[in-house]
Amino acid sequence: MTITLYHGEPNGPSLTVLAALFEKGADATLERIDLAAGERHGARVPHAMEVDHSIEGEGPVLVVDGIPMADSVFLACYLDDVGPGPALCPSEPYDRWRMMTWCRYIVERVAPAAAYLGVAANPPARVPQGVASVDLAERWSDAVAGKIDDARRADSHDKIVQAVERIERELSDGRDWLIDAFSIADLESYAWLAGMTELVPEAFADRPRTAAWLARVMARPAVARALAMATSAAPEHIWAPGPEINRWG
Amino acid sequence: MAETPSVTLYHWEPNANSGKPMLTLFEKGVAFDSHYLDLLNFDQHKPDYLAINPLGTIPAMTHGDLVLTESTAIMEYVDEAFPGPRLMPDSPVDTWRVRWWMKFMDQWLAPSFSMIGWSVFVGPSVRSRDPAELDAAIERIPLPERRIAWRKAISGAFSAEEMTESQRRVAVGIGLLEQALGQREWLASDSYSLADINGFNLAYALPLSQPHLSNDELTPNIMRWLRAIYARPATKSCWALGRTDMARRVTILEGEPA
Ligand SMILES: N[C@@H](CCC(=O)N[C@@H](CS)C(=O)NCC(=O)O)C(=O)O
Repeated sequence: MTITLYHGEPNGPSLTVLAALFEKGADATLERIDLAAGERHGARVPHAMEVDHSIEGEGPVLVVDGIPMADSVFLACYLDDVGPGPALCPSEPYDRWRMMTWCRYIVERVAPAAAYLGVAANPPARVPQGVASVDLAERWSDAVAGKIDDARRADSHDKIVQAVERIERELSDGRDWLIDAFSIADLESYAWLAGMTELVPEAFADRPRTAAWLARVMARPAVARALAMATSAAPEHIWAPGPEINRWG
Repeated sequence: MAETPSVTLYHWEPNANSGKPMLTLFEKGVAFDSHYLDLLNFDQHKPDYLAINPLGTIPAMTHGDLVLTESTAIMEYVDEAFPGPRLMPDSPVDTWRVRWWMKFMDQWLAPSFSMIGWSVFVGPSVRSRDPAELDAAIERIPLPERRIAWRKAISGAFSAEEMTESQRRVAVGIGLLEQALGQREWLASDSYSLADINGFNLAYALPLSQPHLSNDELTPNIMRWLRAIYARPATKSCWALGRTDMARRVTILEGEPA
């Protein structure tokens, strides 16, 4: 089995997958790409329908024996299946359900908000060539043009506030991690929220359990190693168009 | 002997999110108490059900003391928690592909089908009721996003732009399904999986609802796949729980290829 990971700066979905790879000690070749310049759409990265139409937007691509795969949570699940390191998913079905529904909440409600605010604060320079998905191409044009909708910005802000409230509540029984043992839920939540501490500071004010949890995730050797791969001074400022904000309920 | 905890599924028609855990339970051979909620009668926003799922969306499942929501995550739970045929592939890459397709359908394609369905079916079905009663019903909906969706459906307020975008996505999605099903027997792997169960719930009525986009000439692989799933005994038992013409649309799959 040969694995190659094409990843961007350690922020958002690239951070999830890099850290999962290091947590699991899976053998992979790392290829750095500039997600924020749209390099995923160019000739350097293998293409597949599942990458072109991944609704995560700009995220890392994992190529396993020639098969290009996308979507950070599911890539992390894949690495959990194949890597030798300690499990990143619970073993009991009910706890696995808790992890999957938590990740679904992050992916569906929080990631679009974080990407919207992140891109608004750090707009990409130009729209890349060859974006196959029509709606992703539109998010690129809007981001480059600085076309920010006030209602969406406000809604995204609320979503970040709610996410931190939810984490604070979740950890209120004194747990260290979101689903009992450390899991992909911690990685995915951290990866999208780390850059929000600066953009939505009010959400994190007076949230001691969340602050301690963020510090715990950041201190994990695998996360530290992923963060140390940054080529920019502040990887949490590097954003590219992400998942869309729900069109329907 | 310890008593096996019982399973209750709160669902509407075998269709979309309700049908996903229903068909999974039938495929696994898990006995369950069926608790039918009439979505068009707003049963999902009544206090009895809100006590189970405070979000007021269908489906929800209880297993002993456990309460589970989110149809796709429930399917994975059912597959893992009960004996019966495995509905996830053995290979980790195929497992990834099953999840990829379920996310693509749940979060990109199904919402577009939904918007069309709500505008042509759900809205018109309830529109003629007493406006004051409808208003009160909408006020009871817990999720603000859903209050907006219901109001739009009832007043027919989906914009032309939104509907065009949904129709575009339906066409793209049909193209991608046809492409994937041209590559392998089942949607995400060589064995029948949760991706097929999920996809069938989304697509079973395609030849009726989108006849110009999906039919034996244009999408032979989708048609082959839908008929193969319809032929399964679990599918027959599951659709037998339908009470309306909506679920009966599945009989379009009884015909042979033209
Ligand atoms: N993500 C949830 C969505 C559940 C959902 O939205 N169900 C729809 C029916 S398919 C519903 O309850 N609609 C009625 C309403 O919102 O009032 C799942 O997959 O279970």
